[in-house]
Amino acid sequence: MAIGIKKVARPRRMSMGETLYLLEIVKGLGVTMGHLLRNIVRQENIPTIEYPEVRRVMPPRFRGLHRLMKRPDGSPRCVACFCCSTACPAVCITIVAGESPDPKVEKYPVRFDIDMLRCIFCGLCVEACPCDAIRMDTGWFTPPENTREKLIYTIDMLLEK
Amino acid sequence: MPNFTINGISVDVPQGTTILEAAKTAGIEIPHYCYHPKLSVAGNCRMCLVEVEKFPKLQIACNTIVTDGMAVKTDSEKVKQAVTGVLEFLLIHHPIDCPICDQAGECGLQIYYMKYGLHKSRYAVEDKVHKKKVQDIGGQIILDAERCILCSRCIRFLQEVTGTGELEFFQRGDHSEISIFPGRPLDNRYTGNLADICPVGALTSKDFRFKCRVWLLRGARSICPGCANGCNVEAHFKEEILYRLKPRQNDEVNKTWMCDPGRLEYKKANEARLLTPVNRENGIPKAAPWEAALSSVAFRLWEMVEKHGPGSVAVIASPQFSNEELFLARKLADEVLRTPHLGFSLRTVGDGFADDFLIKADKNPNTRGAKLLGISEEKFDDIVQNVADGKIRALLVFGNGIADLSDAETGRLLANVPFVVQIATNEGAVSRAAHAILPSASFVERGGTFTNHAGRVQRFWMGFPPRGKARSAIEIITGLANRLGAGWKSGGEAQVFRAIAQSEAPFAGMSYESLGELGQTAGGKG
Amino acid sequence: MSGLFDLAVAVARIAIMLIFCLTFVVVLTWAERKGAAYMQDRRGPNRAKILGLTLGGIFHPLADAIKFLFKEDFIPDHVHRLFYQMAPMFALAPALMTIAVIPFGPPVTIAGKTIPLQIADLNVGILYVFAMSGLTVYGVILAGWASNSKYPLLGGLRSSAQMISYEVSLGLSIIGVVMVFRSVKLSQIVASQGELLWGIVPQWGVVVQPLGFILFLVALYAEANRTPFDLPEGESEIVAGFHTEYGSFKFSMFMMAEYFHLVVGSLLVATLFFGGWQFPYLASSGFVLPGGFSIGLPGAVVLLLRIGALFAKVVFFAWLFIWVRWTIPRFRYDQVMRLGWKVMLPLSLLNIFATGIALLLVA
Repeated sequence: MAIGIKKVARPRRMSMGETLYLLEIVKGLGVTMGHLLRNIVRQENIPTIEYPEVRRVMPPRFRGLHRLMKRPDGSPRCVACFCCSTACPAVCITIVAGESPDPKVEKYPVRFDIDMLRCIFCGLCVEACPCDAIRMDTGWFTPPENTREKLIYTIDMLLEK
Repeated sequence: MPNFTINGISVDVPQGTTILEAAKTAGIEIPHYCYHPKLSVAGNCRMCLVEVEKFPKLQIACNTIVTDGMAVKTDSEKVKQAVTGVLEFLLIHHPIDCPICDQAGECGLQIYYMKYGLHKSRYAVEDKVHKKKVQDIGGQIILDAERCILCSRCIRFLQEVTGTGELEFFQRGDHSEISIFPGRPLDNRYTGNLADICPVGALTSKDFRFKCRVWLLRGARSICPGCANGCNVEAHFKEEILYRLKPRQNDEVNKTWMCDPGRLEYKKANEARLLTPVNRENGIPKAAPWEAALSSVAFRLWEMVEKHGPGSVAVIASPQFSNEELFLARKLADEVLRTPHLGFSLRTVGDGFADDFLIKADKNPNTRGAKLLGISEEKFDDIVQNVADGKIRALLVFGNGIADLSDAETGRLLANVPFVVQIATNEGAVSRAAHAILPSASFVERGGTFTNHAGRVQRFWMGFPPRGKARSAIEIITGLANRLGAGWKSGGEAQVFRAIAQSEAPFAGMSYESLGELGQTAGGKG
Repeated sequence: MSGLFDLAVAVARIAIMLIFCLTFVVVLTWAERKGAAYMQDRRGPNRAKILGLTLGGIFHPLADAIKFLFKEDFIPDHVHRLFYQMAPMFALAPALMTIAVIPFGPPVTIAGKTIPLQIADLNVGILYVFAMSGLTVYGVILAGWASNSKYPLLGGLRSSAQMISYEVSLGLSIIGVVMVFRSVKLSQIVASQGELLWGIVPQWGVVVQPLGFILFLVALYAEANRTPFDLPEGESEIVAGFHTEYGSFKFSMFMMAEYFHLVVGSLLVATLFFGGWQFPYLASSGFVLPGGFSIGLPGAVVLLLRIGALFAKVVFFAWLFIWVRWTIPRFRYDQVMRLGWKVMLPLSLLNIFATGIALLLVA
């Protein structure tokens, strides 16, 4: 069995001028100065997005923070079927179901908590929902908070978004 | 013995077997709703249609007796079409309730739809006939008439098993529905079975309602600890919380049924549990690590035996504990503490209701076991008398309560003892008075055997490890005994049961293997 | 009266020089951040506002200073407390002291007295500069050792090795200048650079000592711990090097020392190789161009032009420091050592040799 030999592309030997560095350094300085001047003259071309005044426009399918949808009467559309929490690979959704005061609804979530610290924003909960009650179309990513508790979003917070 | 072929397989079955049952023995599944092995055959769901050679039309498998030379096909195109058609009919008025229906996940409609249906609905949602939903019809049952497929299992159960007949069909055609008679709710102690036998979500359990989705539950084979009948059950739990008990088929004990009070037994494993060893110092209970708790209890017991003699120590066993644990408790009392005071009582707080079906007056799962293991019931009153007289210096109490004593009586009684140790699962009057509490595992947190009223030794299996810091009583007793110098080998319940089989005559020749899932009757008299 | 006048002049000179340098350091930190940002297609500091004005983030150094001042002066548990606290002072003080000998203008005559625009015109000027810059390494090593932590120690070790290596080349590269201008007195060197070579070209150090200038510049970058020789800090390798364990004002002292080095280095380059305060073809009376043309200027204008010339040169070289930092990546440690000992040292010796021969031939 022949052993295959692979030729690795070696970098070209540097010429005398290049080994001296001096000229190359001047060239490099030219490049950086070029950027500097260009950016000073045409500031609008700098790609930086100045958050929070300016926000990146999220693509329509961007999976951001969750929100719970409401019925026309303002009650949550969620019927606490547990499909989202079952589908969730991060086990970040906690639901406690209860008997709804509205006899037409029957079952509703007494508690619906999403632990945003555990959520991996995979969107499987949205896929799983049979009632279109949970969406991830807020275009928001998790905001910073100073305690872990604040990042466990309760049903009221999720309904407001 | 008629011989017949089903899907080309030749099978011998006893005379009088239906095709459905015969197919089951051949490992072929025939879909069905109204058929139930423990109920009469109604044949009204039409799901079990099969093709029988020389019959012009399809036959229902549940009500066709196998004859010699019969040739049955369950997988022909004709059968498939018929079954799908029947399913479509059944689903015509079925509401789209799956997200809120407790049956979802174990629903016959869901299972068979995925297997035989998968059709698009040809019936507009707005044309569906609506019936009354969420009706509390008494017992443990909520009725949703809309979801019903009119299989009549519930009606037959109430007529044939309980004989009470509260449910009946009403109306005609599309508007047919099951219901109770006005003002006559379910009135028997076996209503929970209706939720089990209902193949759809029409009858669901009030207690389990919206608690948990069934696909999140895991099951453990167990024995209902509610009475001496020892019904075989499946304990359903998620993580460390028990959600429900469902009957497990054992034709010798409970067939496929279970009583309503038994179904609520699971709550004791969830609520008011003792989860950490406690040592009471100067009247203040303090959580202690196991090593320290066991050592200090052992030391106090040894101290009492040394100072006042073995007669100053008493052990009150409990028929709530398994054979293995009672055996070790007896050994502890007889061989390690050498006290003459070992007894138990089968009396419990409560009405002691009994009937001629499943519910027994004795509310302990293992009274017979305790008797067979030679733990005396007569000595119990003796011990109580001694305690009341202040002759007992240290008392080891198994179980959550003492016989049928009320909380106040228990407190008064235990006030006479300088040192009370309790091995139990739940808080109560004894745990409030005890000087040391050693928390033990509930019936799903450990394995073992119970001996029921008829002497049937039945196994129960561990579902999940003991909650909190609780330990199985076998470990606790062994730990105590070894700290008192017994030098027992620590092992699981299987090892202890082998020892029982060797030394105890009624259990001779038994092993976990021979008990199997359904149990075995112990010899001798208790 | 005369004594008091002298004292006032001395204090004024020190004050002017210090205030100039400190202000310059502040502006430099801003220039570094903003310049880096623009070179990297970012926006850089633009948040700090006074009266709604950001002015390109010029207030950020002020905000930084306030933050450094009010931050908790934290001393980690495991450090050597005395040395840990001394290290930033050791880093900053020599850098401050170096500016004493740098002439920032020609001597002026006020009220009949000739006042050199220099804090101290030492006759061993250059030696003093090297003595002082040699001391700065103690600050770094002390910080590295006193922090009692692995990364600072590594940074300190790298720094000591690097400084010793480049100190040699730095010193040797100046010898040529000293040989040409026949003085170690900085005022004398600057004055000599006002002459014209062959009557056309200003006799600046860079003209007579081109190789010496390049060697000096490279060695200076290494001395000041600036990229591409900022191994003692090496963020990507050893966190922040010698000042990893420092915070609040002590950290800001290290930062100030770094930028002070930068200012002093720029002043030195300007002084030694670019004629210091000399403005090309500008004599005390006005412009004297080769070919006999001359434009007369009043003395005050000449003085301002000369000081302005030095300022412009310093600004350019300070900017060069920044510019190079954001252009060239960091050397590897062995590359730094190789460059120092195998390239810089022989070249600087060669430079001295060549200069000697040239001087002999000219003479």
